[in-house]
Amino acid sequence: MATNVSQTESLVGHGVETTSRSRSWWSRNGAVVLMVGLCLVLLFPIFYTFITSLQPRGFGNSVQLFREGIYWGHYEQLLSTPRFMRNILNSGITSVGGALLTTVTCALAGYAFSRIKFGGRRGLLLLLLGMIMLPGIVNLIPLYRLSSDLLGSVPNGVTLFGDTSARQFVNYLLVIGVYGAFGIPFGVWVMKSFYDSIPRELEEAAAVDGATPWIALLTVIIPISLPGLVAVFLTNFVFNWNDFLTASMLIRSDELKTATVALLDFQNQLTGNNSELLNAASILIMIPGIVIFLLARNAFFRGFVEGAVKG
Amino acid sequence: MQGQRGVSRFFPYFLIAPALLIVFLVILYPTLFSFWLSLHENRRRDLIYVGLENFQRILANQNFWDGLGRTAIYGVFYIGLVMVFGFLLALLFHRGIKFGGVFLTIVFIPWMLSEIVAGVMWRWMFLPERGVLQNLFGPLLGDYSFLGEGAGAMSVVIAGTVWRGIAFSLLLLLAGLQTVPGDLGEAASIDGANRWQRFWKITWPLMLPTTQVTIVFLTIQAVNAVGMFLSITDGGPGRTTEVVSLQMYKQALQFNNFGFASAVSVLMFFLNAGLALVYINGMRAQNALD
Repeated sequence: MATNVSQTESLVGHGVETTSRSRSWWSRNGAVVLMVGLCLVLLFPIFYTFITSLQPRGFGNSVQLFREGIYWGHYEQLLSTPRFMRNILNSGITSVGGALLTTVTCALAGYAFSRIKFGGRRGLLLLLLGMIMLPGIVNLIPLYRLSSDLLGSVPNGVTLFGDTSARQFVNYLLVIGVYGAFGIPFGVWVMKSFYDSIPRELEEAAAVDGATPWIALLTVIIPISLPGLVAVFLTNFVFNWNDFLTASMLIRSDELKTATVALLDFQNQLTGNNSELLNAASILIMIPGIVIFLLARNAFFRGFVEGAVKG
Repeated sequence: MQGQRGVSRFFPYFLIAPALLIVFLVILYPTLFSFWLSLHENRRRDLIYVGLENFQRILANQNFWDGLGRTAIYGVFYIGLVMVFGFLLALLFHRGIKFGGVFLTIVFIPWMLSEIVAGVMWRWMFLPERGVLQNLFGPLLGDYSFLGEGAGAMSVVIAGTVWRGIAFSLLLLLAGLQTVPGDLGEAASIDGANRWQRFWKITWPLMLPTTQVTIVFLTIQAVNAVGMFLSITDGGPGRTTEVVSLQMYKQALQFNNFGFASAVSVLMFFLNAGLALVYINGMRAQNALD
């Protein structure tokens, strides 16, 4: 993954080695010691949540840790609870669906904005730029109301496949559509700046070979734009996976609740000293986002920097 | 630069049509709908036109002003702390540090968590009697209960959101620092400027546009924060952490009070749109649109 390394390298300066011989150990390594300290502080909440999740019920207290050894029971319980697994599945379906929708639409629109001067281009770009700044909560209120009408118009009790009713199916599509839309303003900018970095000669060569613009886009440009597309897909997947607001306002059926919505419900209904189970659920829910980020962190940095800063 | 020869005039519009259609249906139309909604009131299942009554009621409502005040207090602390930490870290990473890639990755992990997951974790650390940080710091402050006091609960939310938000400002500022030419600093140091002078005379003025953009983004985040308030305090104790965005969420979701919530969201829309204009002007100045 050579390109991956370069992105982080280009963001982070290289260690200053030139005059280090003559300076004291502290001035050479002080910053590293400080950063190690800061990183430990930053990781502590996650570490402590994990520790808590390995204690039996009621034992996740700072003074009685590991009195019973490591206890995996909460994870076993969660993984064998159909409702919890259904929540995870819901998060997966809506996150993947939304990220796919964003990626496909931005792959096309970003290309037009990057390559072709058409009437309204500048105005539409400004409009999308403005929408990056419009946070979800402001249009979720009207969306909540509109979605009630939409879902109300779907006949109740019609089963489509398995045990999914028509209304639930429309509800899935609704959340996927909203996730997809929320990713578009930023995604178009990321893809536009990605295409900007690809030499025009590629399409020109394809045109000489007789390829139509559509063929050139699909067979020449899209394949070499894969890193950009993957960056858009993964950042949007994690963003959707972590979403709470949209899901909490637009999902109307208990079966369709996503993991984050269910987690807050769980915390609000917590009875007795069952924080250990809650913490185990937190750990399971955070795993996909963190793993994807660690595997593809440069895609995240790249997408973010290109979209937000370089424009 | 017109596209390639023989390209249909409609080609670019076919390309942008799907994205624009979805954005129109999900973002633009509902925003316009909320303007209409804010002039109506829910009575049973019907919406009745009430003119500006919702706005009058909001502006006369002490809760709204209290919420706005809490948003302001939260925002000042959130933006201030995230900017200070973000700037210091960005300077450190930019200057270069051993294992910089590893450190950068770790600073980013909190941002990759859901606000709800992060909130559950912070609430657990400060839970009365059981939370590890409550038990550590509570006794030192005279048996202070963080989540039991307004100021304490707000501090926990601030700490949690700053913890999650540092990565965001760090990356924006770090990318901005890369546009500051390095040879300027070298020239200045040859002229005898010390590190402190170099920062204030060269880096800081050149970073001002990036700093502004970052502050605009952070302000929007602060004004619209809901997730971590819901999961850490749910507005409590009492209403001491009920910021405006949380009031709006609760009015709509728990009380079905759409007219009221929409009116607040229209006010928030103008606040956000104003901030967005500041941002867009900054981008235009950088010729990012061409």
